[in-house]
Amino acid sequence: MPTNTPVVEAINVKKTYMLGKVPVEALRGVNFHVAAGDFVSILGPSGSGKSTMLNLIGALDKPTSGQLLIDGVDIGTLSDNQLSELRLKIGFVFQFFNLIPRLTARDNVELAMSIAGVSKSQRRKHAVELLENVGLKDRINHKPAELSGGQQQRVAIARALANNPKFLLLDEPTGNVDSKTAAEVLSLLKKLNTEDGVSIIMVTHDEKLAKQARRTVKMFDGEICADEANGQ
Amino acid sequence: MRTLDIFGYSFSAIKLRKFRAALTTLGVIIGIAAIVALLSITQGLQATITSQLNQGLSADTLIVTAGGSAISGGGGGFGGFGGQTENSGFSLYTNYTQEIDALSPDIANSVAIISRSGYIVSENLNRSVTIYGVDYATYQSIYTNTFKAENGSIPTSPSMTEVVVGTRVNQPSQNGTVFFNTGDLVNVTWTNATVLPLRNETYIAQVSGVLGKIGGFGIGGPSDTGVYIPLEQAQSFFNTTQCDMIIVKLTNSDSATVDAVTKAITEHFSDQVSVISSTAVLSLLSTVFGTIQLFLGGIAAISLLVAGVGIMNIMIVSLIERTREIGILKALGMKSRTVLTIFLGESVIIGFIGAIIGILLGWALANVTATVLGEGGVIGGGSGAFSITPILTPEVILGSLAFGIGVSVIFALYPAWRASKLKPVDALRYE
Ligand SMILES: Nc1ncnc2c1ncn2[C@@H]1O[C@H](COP(=O)(O)OP(=O)(O)OP(=O)(O)O)[C@@H](O)[C@H]1O
Ligand SMILES: [Mg+2]
Repeated sequence: MPTNTPVVEAINVKKTYMLGKVPVEALRGVNFHVAAGDFVSILGPSGSGKSTMLNLIGALDKPTSGQLLIDGVDIGTLSDNQLSELRLKIGFVFQFFNLIPRLTARDNVELAMSIAGVSKSQRRKHAVELLENVGLKDRINHKPAELSGGQQQRVAIARALANNPKFLLLDEPTGNVDSKTAAEVLSLLKKLNTEDGVSIIMVTHDEKLAKQARRTVKMFDGEICADEANGQ
Repeated sequence: MRTLDIFGYSFSAIKLRKFRAALTTLGVIIGIAAIVALLSITQGLQATITSQLNQGLSADTLIVTAGGSAISGGGGGFGGFGGQTENSGFSLYTNYTQEIDALSPDIANSVAIISRSGYIVSENLNRSVTIYGVDYATYQSIYTNTFKAENGSIPTSPSMTEVVVGTRVNQPSQNGTVFFNTGDLVNVTWTNATVLPLRNETYIAQVSGVLGKIGGFGIGGPSDTGVYIPLEQAQSFFNTTQCDMIIVKLTNSDSATVDAVTKAITEHFSDQVSVISSTAVLSLLSTVFGTIQLFLGGIAAISLLVAGVGIMNIMIVSLIERTREIGILKALGMKSRTVLTIFLGESVIIGFIGAIIGILLGWALANVTATVLGEGGVIGGGSGAFSITPILTPEVILGSLAFGIGVSVIFALYPAWRASKLKPVDALRYE
């Protein structure tokens, strides 16, 4: 259940990219908040600024202006090192999964923990548990190329959960899988949200999937044009 | 991230591209092997020459020659000094030994040496030698251990036609084939170049003694290829009262005594002589070898720098290929510093493995080269062949290791720094 503690608070966030000398306004002043335990989907046409927003929340980039508070801290004021530390607390699932090809499923999950400084024996055990939770018990020693798209997707989710993140960010997690797999992934996310209390922000194109979240935020041309709870 | 995990990650990246890593390492291997081989051979050579010199040049003897230049090559490398010295106008005369003896109570004795290139001719031998005119008794009192007959004897008051020869004159190949024995008559010949037309002067001498094996080099001291005739005979045969050097024997070998006597002699002859002591020769030798090592080591080091450029090249290619991977690592919370360490770690591993293999290979190469040179007798000159034992000092091992790793790391710095500065969003978008 969503609580009253906000994990993400965006106040008039703007992001402008420079294409040569031409400024491209990807976000034109976004106001938005996510409470701990919430499950928010972000819906919008291509180029509306969804990925840009998610990258900012994931501390992969800084806003050009405005304030973006993650767990109460304005990321605009953080140093490179502090941003890295913040990322340890955030689980990010990329559109193209972004697993490291030479590492097995288990090693990919372990890598996230090893970056956080977890010892070998602990992370080995935890990685196997995480992979079991996403239903990949018998695939732990497979490399990404030896897994289906949906399986890779689940490895990416297991990796994102490895360091017990405050919240999980997913950029079009079902963009590359069939509708059956998409449904599976979604029920996994719902389970994580309801049973383990993980806050989730998910970008999607699919309106039906978006409806399954507790709340849907609609974006258009760098602005939020609707923010509504989904009756369930 | 834990250090061991960082290295483990670097290693897994290297393992993925084994062939490429092997080629990169090969550059380091070749550079280090060249350095180690060249240095261990020159150090071995230096040790051999030093020990041979120590045999022929005792610490309590000084060598006085005319003119400024200390060491001038003559017949047979260090073994003999060429007769015709510098045109300084100053010459040493055989009777200067009396003046020198009177200079200091620290001087025990001194002996004048006249030397010329010549031949010794017997029934079945015609051998090019250096002929030395010395006072047998004094020379023997200075070189008690080496101017010692193995066959026959060294006459204390020799007749003009008696001669003493080094063991290689009598037995050049040292395999038991003897060309003449003591008591035999031989022709002693030199080419008189002071008259025109050039004329071969010859007299018949009787061999009264053959020296025992001395080995190697010696300045002034007895040599295996030397022919020793009495000083009076040399003066009349070579028609001169000048000599080529005077050996001065001291009562002790303190460096204070050596310095004091050196100064006294130089001043007595108004700076027109040079006085060589074994310490001076050895220090000159180590300077010369230091320069040679620096030069050879420098050339080899350049090859290592070329390897460094190769490493940089490979790292930049791998950086571009791995842009996305770096983006993932950073998105997972890896710090820039850790990304830097991972890339530098890869170069440390390459440098370390390359240096270790290079040291082993260089050492093997040095030994093979030394064996080949030893067998071929390329080194040895007129004083007889001798073998080199390559020397690998801990300094060279540690130095090569540090240099190999250092070069790899330095050339990896720029690519590693670029990798660490990649922004995660940009790196993740990279196709
Ligand atoms: N690095 C960049 N440099 C320049 N312009 C950029 C950059 N990243 C995004 N943009 C621009 O910002 C706008 C928003 O891009 P964004 O990736 O956030 O869209 P999106 O909503 O995720 O679209 P899609 O659904 O296609 O993924 C686009 O017009 C895009 O061209
Ligand atoms: Mg997008």
